[in-house]
Amino acid sequence: MTSTIDARPEPAEPSGAPDRRRPRVAPWVALGLAVVLVGFVALLYTRKGADSTVAPSPLIGKPAPEVTGPGLDGSTVRLSAYQGRYVLLNFFASWCVPCRNEHDDLLKFTARHQAAGDAQVLAVIFDDDPATVRTWFQKNGGTWPVIEDPNGKVSLDFGVRGPPESFLIAPDGTVLTRIIGEVDANVLESLVAQAKKLGAGS
Amino acid sequence: MSRRLVYLALAVIAAIALTVGVAGQRGARTEDEKVRQIASTVRCPTCRGLSAAESDAKAAQAVREEIRTQLREGRSATEIRAFLAGRYGRDILLTPGASGVTGLVWVIPVVVLVVAVAGLVAAFRRWRDHPFAVATIDDRVLVEHALHADEGAGR
Repeated sequence: MTSTIDARPEPAEPSGAPDRRRPRVAPWVALGLAVVLVGFVALLYTRKGADSTVAPSPLIGKPAPEVTGPGLDGSTVRLSAYQGRYVLLNFFASWCVPCRNEHDDLLKFTARHQAAGDAQVLAVIFDDDPATVRTWFQKNGGTWPVIEDPNGKVSLDFGVRGPPESFLIAPDGTVLTRIIGEVDANVLESLVAQAKKLGAGS
Repeated sequence: MSRRLVYLALAVIAAIALTVGVAGQRGARTEDEKVRQIASTVRCPTCRGLSAAESDAKAAQAVREEIRTQLREGRSATEIRAFLAGRYGRDILLTPGASGVTGLVWVIPVVVLVVAVAGLVAAFRRWRDHPFAVATIDDRVLVEHALHADEGAGR
């Protein structure tokens, strides 16, 4: 039977010595760390994930910033001129592939609301050349107003990080939804229907 | 006695250096400098890992232009940062705000530092008062016992 002898006086052997007990700190430190970690995990777990294309924005529920700018056709386009209708403000660029992919859905959405006149697409050019965009629209169709936004001020006002991004705006000018990535005509339809049901901003 | 004086002098110098370091940051005089200073605390919206001051992306230029316009309208840096956060979201800011939950980011390191220094001081005190390597009578008895046990096992 061998025994190792520790130079440190800490492990009080059963020699019956009146050992000066060190306060046991480690368990309390561990407990504190555990509480903090559990708190962080809970915080992360309860936050909404960014898996859907509908994204948060500080603007949601607030009046949309006013948008004024030269349109591709030379007129001045104003967002406030479209009050009374649902507006889909669509930030796009001709160099952006998902923007091309969603174009058919925007055409579909426009066609569906043409007769009722209750919803309107407004496009904002995001970092692209107006001349290129003009040819692009001539080729691909689409008759909605296109705002040039040469200084990127409109994109800044809506906090756009990259195209395509779209904002659904209520008839009273309140921002309802921010969509990052390609829009889907059916999803847009259900978003508008939902907003109408809730009577948001009508 | 003189050692205390040395520590006091160290503390005073550290305090002065910290004050000068913090206060000295507000040195922007020209408009360009002010724009740059605010833009350097804001993320470039379309790029990764760059501030709006460093990037030449169009969105970063737009941010700088917005900062300039608002400075001319007499807004403060805090107001401009709040405006940008109200459009892009709080994560557009590179330096977190000093209030609410984000304020913890500033507070926690200071608290950790203070606790760590206090812990070190306590540990040093204890080591000075009770050095490890002194064998007590108990220890000697223990060694004695162990040696005898070994001998017993050896035979």
